[in-house]
Amino acid sequence: MLKYLTPLLIITIVYASEPISPIPLERGVHIKKALLGKELFFDTMLSKDSSTACVSCHDVSSGGADARVVSEGFEGKKGNIQAPTVFNAKYNFKQFWNGRANNLLEQADGPINNPAEHNMNPKSIEERLNASAKYKQKFQEVYGTSKIEYQQALEAIVEFENALTTPNSRFDKFLRNELQLTSQEQEGYTIFKQLGCITCHNGVNIGANSFQKMGTFIEYNSNTSYPDRAEITKNSEHKNVFKVPTLRNITLTAPYFHDGSVKTLKEAVQVMSKYNLGQQISEEEADKIVLFLETLKGEKPFVMDMF
Amino acid sequence: MKLNRLLYLTFAVGIISSIVLTYFYLLQRDFTKNHREFLISISNLENSQSDLNYLILENSLYAYQDQDKISQSIQDLQDKYTKIEASAILKDKNYLSIRKNLELFKERLTKNFENIEEFQMLNAGIKNSLVFLTRHVESSVALSEEKNIFIQANQILKHLNDAVKMQDLDYINNLNVTLTSDSPNQQMQDFINTFNAHAMYLVKRYPAFVTMTYKVTHSDIYLLMKKIREEFSLLALNDFKALDIFALIIFSVFLSSLLAISILFAKYLKENKKLQETTKSLEYSLTYDMLTGLYNRKMLEEDLSKSDFPHILVIDINGFKDINDVYGNEVGNALLQDLAQFLKSELLHQADFKIYRLGGDEFAILFEDIDKKVAFNIALSLEQKIMKHIFLIGKLELNITVSIASNCISPMLENADMALKIIKKEQNKRVLAYKESLNFKKSVQENMETLEQIKVAIQTDCIIPFFQPIVNLQSAKIEKYEALVRLKLPNGSYLPPIKFLDTAKKSSYYYDITKIMIEKTIKVAEQFPQYRFSINVSMLDILDDEITSSLLSSLKNNLRVSSRIDIELLEAEHLNDLEKVKEFVQELHKYGSKILIDDFGSGYSNFSYFSDLPIDIVKIDGSIVNEITTNDRKLHMLKSIHQFSKGMDMQSVAEFVETREIALLLRDIGVRYGQGYYFSKPLQMPLVSDEVII
Repeated sequence: MLKYLTPLLIITIVYASEPISPIPLERGVHIKKALLGKELFFDTMLSKDSSTACVSCHDVSSGGADARVVSEGFEGKKGNIQAPTVFNAKYNFKQFWNGRANNLLEQADGPINNPAEHNMNPKSIEERLNASAKYKQKFQEVYGTSKIEYQQALEAIVEFENALTTPNSRFDKFLRNELQLTSQEQEGYTIFKQLGCITCHNGVNIGANSFQKMGTFIEYNSNTSYPDRAEITKNSEHKNVFKVPTLRNITLTAPYFHDGSVKTLKEAVQVMSKYNLGQQISEEEADKIVLFLETLKGEKPFVMDMF
Repeated sequence: MKLNRLLYLTFAVGIISSIVLTYFYLLQRDFTKNHREFLISISNLENSQSDLNYLILENSLYAYQDQDKISQSIQDLQDKYTKIEASAILKDKNYLSIRKNLELFKERLTKNFENIEEFQMLNAGIKNSLVFLTRHVESSVALSEEKNIFIQANQILKHLNDAVKMQDLDYINNLNVTLTSDSPNQQMQDFINTFNAHAMYLVKRYPAFVTMTYKVTHSDIYLLMKKIREEFSLLALNDFKALDIFALIIFSVFLSSLLAISILFAKYLKENKKLQETTKSLEYSLTYDMLTGLYNRKMLEEDLSKSDFPHILVIDINGFKDINDVYGNEVGNALLQDLAQFLKSELLHQADFKIYRLGGDEFAILFEDIDKKVAFNIALSLEQKIMKHIFLIGKLELNITVSIASNCISPMLENADMALKIIKKEQNKRVLAYKESLNFKKSVQENMETLEQIKVAIQTDCIIPFFQPIVNLQSAKIEKYEALVRLKLPNGSYLPPIKFLDTAKKSSYYYDITKIMIEKTIKVAEQFPQYRFSINVSMLDILDDEITSSLLSSLKNNLRVSSRIDIELLEAEHLNDLEKVKEFVQELHKYGSKILIDDFGSGYSNFSYFSDLPIDIVKIDGSIVNEITTNDRKLHMLKSIHQFSKGMDMQSVAEFVETREIALLLRDIGVRYGQGYYFSKPLQMPLVSDEVII
């Protein structure tokens, strides 16, 4: 009976077409501008005490995120949340954990002015950049203007970030029918869907296209004060609601979650299962899911090999 | 209104209406474009909203889906809204209400986005549990033992799924979604616990989910958009109406300016026609005489200037003024017309001629290259024919005579006129051909020169008296001298009075000359006390008080010589006031002067002088004297005058004694004095010796 019923049950649930799409291969990036942005991204000149660069917390040589639980910025001040990856950030529907920035340009402005991060202001940045012969020449080449403006610097950084995509992951290739996943990886993906992970982790970034609650089933540490969605909507229901993080290159972006509380991917999968399914999943299932997640590791962004 | 002003006005209206037309075109183009753009933007917005709705619905049905589409759709909606907000047409204050509605719309849109976020959270949780439950039921090993539970679980799951699919809570209302089993199997109990937890979770979330799905997919955004669209259309309709009225006005202005131009054009054509007619008649009047239809004087002058060998006859009606005075201008004009016709018909057989009316009663006929005599004969024949012709004007029969001047010498008209004047003056012929000798013009010129000579002579003391001796034929002694005026020219020669005295008489210089002659003669008389001196005075001079008083005062101032100064009176044609002459002569007699009558026997010699005036001496005219030896009649005349003089107790002087023969004959006859070239020419000074040999 079960044998007859099972297919019936599966039919009753309507599945959509594959809910994950590969990272587009076309670059569409202004290379010169991106390289200028890269230079700025690595330049500590953009922080008040010349201690901090963008790259300080977004390790683009690895996963584009911070290996520390919270980042340290100006005069060693600590951040209030785990730094998310800058890779593929262009595909995020909003920026920051709580989505307070609508796009990268808005986002880039944040850390630079944050007293705990770069602790700078547009005017000082313009002064510093304009005092530099190197930047004067490079900005001249890109923008054709002799005076460097703050907005131009932000745009260059954003262009660099636009170039920070990691295409051609094994999973993307699988989606494009370029290769077969191993049976275990395939199984992991299936479990990923069957357990409902896919309901939030979908789209090109496998996440980062909606706000969801951490702990739909079991309340996640409620007495913390991370900058969550409630801070924006002023709705207490939105406690622990965050932008769903991307799962691309997830193997490179430990520690996990907004609080950086989990060091390994397997543990992260188990934690998610506990709080959002109310159930402990099996070691075997967790391992398979991790195998699937590993296929999401993409190529190093091409811009990293350019100077 | 003047044509010019109307023209400028039309021009101005044309320019203004073109500008307004262009402005209107741009205005309506912009407005139409903006209007269309706004409507398209609204449509796009509606489409985007529909897309989003569709995605939400899809999302609510599907277990899972690529939610990138939703975020992209939201972004799209936001972009489109931004575009509408920036619509050019909304800058117009007429569309303020649209802007207000749009603000309201934005609020709803934002609220809807928040709802969508909420929906996504509810949806993700529900789908997560549904998907999980499906697998949970399917993969549970424990269920193989208890089919009841399995079926129950599947039924519950089906209801839960249906509730989502139908968005209808009836599927789960009053439904016991929890499983119970008294199975001691721990696996079974775990399965049931997990199942129940998720089922309860779903049942708890469903109302909010269904409500939110409905809220999101049935938001009043559509209504609001519809409202905005309708309100916009209504407002735009007013604008379109205004544009229509504006277009109508402009079109009317345009049409009226077109009409004005047409009227102007018609008027212009009319004026032009009038102008052409005027020009034509003007040209005609420049060439033709309006009264007779002949060519006019201007044409004659033109033709003369072109002609190589012109010959002209100028015809003038004698006494035309009298005809006009007696019969009136109408008859005069009719006569002129008739004469014009007559001339035409008479000359019909002639070749190469033109007839002109020069004005008044003067006609001219211009021949080209014609023999002088032939032309003159034509003139003669015309004159005769006109004289014999009876001009019938109404019932009036008129006979006229004409004078005709024939001329082929330049200046044509002037010379012909001169010939006509001569005809009128001499009255002995009616046709005259102009000759150089007729030309008075020369003497006029000479007169001017002579006057100049006189003027210079007076200024430079060149009025000189010459003296011709008067000889006593019996004693052969010079007793007197006649002072004769001469004008000394700068080249040293002398002009006789005949060359300048007539001219001088017509000018104020004559008085000066007379005065100079009196003074100078008196001076010479002082030097030559043995002689008497006579001065020539015209009777007309005596009428001039200035001359008489001057003469009398000179005599008065020179009493020693005044008794030796005589006056030779020259007869004048019309001497009206003989009494005055008489008084003057009597005055002269008081000083001892003697009075001579000059040139007696020629001109208007009048015996009445002798009865009225106390004449002392008669001077017998030279035209008698110089023929007494050859002409018996003249001799007889001389003798008679001599006898008459003797009888009147007057002495006589024979002038023009040019031969000894005459002198001897005169002496034999008994004439007392002789004067002439035989004895002496006029001299610059009297001779000291009074002896002469006859």
